[in-house]
Amino acid sequence: MIQYRFGVEGDLTAPSDDRLTVGDPRVIDFLGKLARKLLVPAVARRHPELGSLGFFLRPAELHRTVTHLQRPDALVFPRGNVFHIPPANVDTIFVYSWALSALAGNHNVVRISERSATAADTILTALNEVLADADPVIARTQRMITYGRDDAVTGALSKWADLRVIWGGDSAVEAIRKHPLRPSARDLTFPDRTSWAALSAAGWRAADPAKRREAVLGFTNDSYWFDQAACSSPRTVFLVGENTDDVRAEFIELLLQVVDQRGWEIDAAMAVEKRVNAYGLAATGAVSSMEFPANSVTAMSLAAVPDAPRRWIGAGAFPFAQVGSLLELVPAMNRQDQTFSHFGFTHDELREFALTLGGRGVDRIVPFGQALTFGSIWDGYDLPREFTRLTTLVE
Amino acid sequence: MSVFTLSQAAKEEVLLKELSTLVEHHRERCEPYGRILAASGYQPATSVAGLPWLPVRLFKNLDLKSIPDDEVYKVLTSSGTTGAEVSKIYLDKASAAEQTRKLGATVQSVLGPKRLPMILVDTKAMLKDRKSFSARGAGVLGMSNFGRNHVWALDNEGQVDVEALRGFLEQYGDEPFLIFGFTYLVWLHLYEVAREHGLDLGNGILIHSGGWKKLVDQAVSPEEFRKRLATVGLTKVHNYYGMIEQIGTIFLEGESGGSLYCPDFADVVIRDPETWAEQPVGKPGLIEVISTLPTSYPGHVLLTEDLGVVHGVDDGDWPGKRFSVLGRLPRAEARGCSDTYREAA
Repeated sequence: MIQYRFGVEGDLTAPSDDRLTVGDPRVIDFLGKLARKLLVPAVARRHPELGSLGFFLRPAELHRTVTHLQRPDALVFPRGNVFHIPPANVDTIFVYSWALSALAGNHNVVRISERSATAADTILTALNEVLADADPVIARTQRMITYGRDDAVTGALSKWADLRVIWGGDSAVEAIRKHPLRPSARDLTFPDRTSWAALSAAGWRAADPAKRREAVLGFTNDSYWFDQAACSSPRTVFLVGENTDDVRAEFIELLLQVVDQRGWEIDAAMAVEKRVNAYGLAATGAVSSMEFPANSVTAMSLAAVPDAPRRWIGAGAFPFAQVGSLLELVPAMNRQDQTFSHFGFTHDELREFALTLGGRGVDRIVPFGQALTFGSIWDGYDLPREFTRLTTLVE
Repeated sequence: MSVFTLSQAAKEEVLLKELSTLVEHHRERCEPYGRILAASGYQPATSVAGLPWLPVRLFKNLDLKSIPDDEVYKVLTSSGTTGAEVSKIYLDKASAAEQTRKLGATVQSVLGPKRLPMILVDTKAMLKDRKSFSARGAGVLGMSNFGRNHVWALDNEGQVDVEALRGFLEQYGDEPFLIFGFTYLVWLHLYEVAREHGLDLGNGILIHSGGWKKLVDQAVSPEEFRKRLATVGLTKVHNYYGMIEQIGTIFLEGESGGSLYCPDFADVVIRDPETWAEQPVGKPGLIEVISTLPTSYPGHVLLTEDLGVVHGVDDGDWPGKRFSVLGRLPRAEARGCSDTYREAA
């Protein structure tokens, strides 16, 4: 049973005579109007994540992306048909994934989860409002649907696609990969990821109280927005320097204040969940101490850096570990690691860290407060490029 | 002989001493438990509410035992209604014997010392179903020890065996007899059938457990349950609350109904899920269960994911705290004895 949420209803895999170009003006016009709707203060207040999305979709930003795609050595064209399977838990991802693919001129089918939340509904309403006076080619080439676990639909769309975009972690990737693609097609996958935070003790001590507070505010947004369960939400906090206990204590103190002021609520079930996980880590010896100053914040001391848990351990659960320098973390990082958010480091420290990692782990190194900020380079991919194909012309 | 004798003050004095000893006992013998205490900065407790608790779900994630492998006599597993996770509870010979003895003493507080003829409101076929056996079967088998001349109220197809019940009542109905079953089975099969067929359950003593969820779905409150059972003559009714992680300890409803009581070797602390401090009488919170019985595994002080409230202290059918279970913490995993049984019924 397919529920059509956006675009023309009917055969999703039928051949189409419609042609879009990379940076098609009709698409840019559509996305620009959508951005304006999402940036309306009433919407952005209710769903701040839609404000960020609106910002991402501003025409100036879109033109920059299109310009960036052009190259002197080849002609750039849409990849073709793209089938997107976004995650249910982070409900703005489907728009980023789709919008960049549409901007690249592709025909898209997006499967929206049945479990998607209210922000997704708000976006769909906005999408359909904009559609009313958009060029009809948009409705014919861009479709969003909801269906249950129906292998026939997934199988047919997989055979239709030139590119299949799978979000939602390892199990989603494995389940979807059971459906074969055409030989010329391929997958763009977003498997399970882990993200970290690092705090320079020297940088913290040098920062004035306002800067420290601002850092904690950013960290709080990064951590609590999706119950610390988004792939980019930091888990363990690495304290970099010597004798960092005072830094940790002040950081936790500010964290408690900011979480309280922002009104992030941790209910009893989540508090129990965090206790279960913290006690479990203590039982195995992975953490040597644990503190529960409030339900909103659980703080633990890791026995050793490699013990940093890579699985989700609850909203507002932070293992801490002290290291002498960022370089000491390099051996512990691996391919699963995505975002590394930082505060108080110098340009040279961060650059040396990135170069020493050498791409073996960590795709994004961003300041506190930007962990969740989506970018067109994501998980190591330049997404607009992934959504296009190149033709070389030699005369 | 009753195990409901100690006033709250007297009980707390005994329990604080015995449980502090148990904390040390487990700390020395169960390394993961010792690590948890060390990581949480444990200091010896000065009150029962100050004793260090473990979240009950830890027994699903970890193997926690305070006995060497070669002394493991029995491993109990909880009903995994959600499938994946089951608690594993390790017993040695001594603790297995002790939990049976204490469970016996607790039910004898309402049954008297003699074994009574017994109706099991369940089906024998359930014992053969290996998947549902763990909790429901263990409960039925454990309780069947306290009766004799058992009759199963349900046949192998799960239908009420009215003839068997009639035969039992003709033979034993004039003297006290024991009825045991899960709450929703008693409601669906015994109460309704007794009413329909005019069975006289006047000499029965009912002991039942298993959660109210299925009855709440049918809008049957605990009060309504008691009231309606009284219409078929069943007035001696005792609900109980217990869990596999604290096997042998049950919190039993007093004769006037509405409250559960703690045996002398056990207690409850209701905790505020925000501050984790003990709640005053009348304020709901998470139920922590305390018992001296777990010696082979560190299950002596457990924070459950059930919500409850203390109604009063030293003011009921028996001394000590009297409390009710209000339900489960939302979003906590489903667990307990309510395995799928003829859902359509």
